[in-house]
Amino acid sequence: MIDFALIADKLPSFLGATDGAPMMSTADGLLMTLELLALSLFFGLALSVPLALGRVSKNKWIARPVWLFTYVFRGTPMLVQLFIIYYGLSQFDWVRSSWAWEYLQSAYVCAIIAFTLNTSAYTTEIIAGQIRNTHWGEIEAAKAMGMSKWLMMRRIVVPSALRRALPAYSNEVIMMLQGTSIAGLVTLADLTGVARRIYADTYQAFEPFLVAGAFYLTLTVLFVWLFKRAEKRWLAFLGPRKA
Amino acid sequence: MKPIEHPNAVAAAQSTLEKSGQIKLQVEDIHKCFGQHEVLKGVSLTAHAGDVISIIGSSGSGKSTFLRCINLLESPNSGRIAVAGHELKLVEDKKLGHLKAADPKQLAMLRTKLAMVFQHFNLWAHMTVLENIIEAPIHVLGISKDEAIARARKYLDKVGLKGVEDKYPAHMSGGQQQRVAIARALAMEPEVMLFDEPTSALDPELVGEVLKVMQDLAREGRTMVVVTHEMGFAREVSNHVVFLHQGRIEEQGNPREVLVNPKSERLAQFLSGRLK
Repeated sequence: MIDFALIADKLPSFLGATDGAPMMSTADGLLMTLELLALSLFFGLALSVPLALGRVSKNKWIARPVWLFTYVFRGTPMLVQLFIIYYGLSQFDWVRSSWAWEYLQSAYVCAIIAFTLNTSAYTTEIIAGQIRNTHWGEIEAAKAMGMSKWLMMRRIVVPSALRRALPAYSNEVIMMLQGTSIAGLVTLADLTGVARRIYADTYQAFEPFLVAGAFYLTLTVLFVWLFKRAEKRWLAFLGPRKA
Repeated sequence: MKPIEHPNAVAAAQSTLEKSGQIKLQVEDIHKCFGQHEVLKGVSLTAHAGDVISIIGSSGSGKSTFLRCINLLESPNSGRIAVAGHELKLVEDKKLGHLKAADPKQLAMLRTKLAMVFQHFNLWAHMTVLENIIEAPIHVLGISKDEAIARARKYLDKVGLKGVEDKYPAHMSGGQQQRVAIARALAMEPEVMLFDEPTSALDPELVGEVLKVMQDLAREGRTMVVVTHEMGFAREVSNHVVFLHQGRIEEQGNPREVLVNPKSERLAQFLSGRLK
């Protein structure tokens, strides 16, 4: 049977109430998951726009390294990337003696770095694909209007590609939401991390992971709805004519 | 960017006959090869203010390629191009074996004076009609947004479109899209307008609305170079017609003479298959 009393008792833990402290007094649980997701998506997207431009560049000295980056980060599990960054880097003296060590010691920072690099690799490919898909006629029109290459990229190609990338990007966001659940493996108390802690305390696994799952599902439904709205607004140009 | 003056409509329409206007576009001896195949074998063209020049010819004659060489959408192998007295500085691209602009900024500047209307409209799909029209005036010419919007409304009115400002191109008919594209070109207030088969992608019943807009522009004294299959337009609207055949100008002159009494056999042949 499902232990509803345990769920009721432990539910606040998912909302930052650790060790009897009031809800939202810590970032544990939902807030940690959302922070990790929001920060890595933000930095990931910011990185992926210039990287996507590099990926489609005619200059192979720019395009090749970006290609390598996206293949390495799409070709290895995010968990492995996280472990390499969090556990692996510390074995190098020069890393430990560098200014960055202060940050690389932190599981939080390492998780955000790993998630950012991972999502930016996927997002780079999504955006680069849409940049390549830009209708050649629209590029000719921009040239014929006297636009410089940079202006054309900034005003025509990238805005159009970003809009067309929305459906694929919404998938990436949902994948990343689920992906953040590995943060618990480097000691962070995200939704899954809190569930694991409850499991360790109570030896009951079903209830805490059921609750964590319900949170992820609710967030997914919310994101799907948000992206639907965004697509309605930003992709109206592809949709059917409005009456 | 200095404002571009257009001559008074009526006066211009008359002056075209005398060819007294200033030279707006001078293109000399354009050669263009695609690999071994020489598509243009030395084509020249001069447009005075208010000229409406129709370029005709069968497909493969090089007419579209020639038009696209004028604004360097296609890179000629040799030739000279001058717009409103400014010669485009061209240098050879050694690697690719054709000419390229010596100064991208000068090319961009001359392109703003040579607005182009394409066969497939080439509107920016993710922008509304209004955004399409104000984009280049704001970001290329550097005029204010208010001024650009005022211009856009003026030219939308001119091409006979109302209540379409917030529509996306895909939600309009081909004829409407092409008229938006013409408004977009007009909003640059160019010296010369280049039309690359502007009605060829349209359903027959939509061709008329676009031709009518072009006829109105011609009457206003705008300088236009039109690659077209519409013999009616070439005959009735243009004051000069150029017949291209296999990359050369086979015959040219006043359309009322050239199209009625062609001197060359090729043109006679071409017209017999076409003229309605």
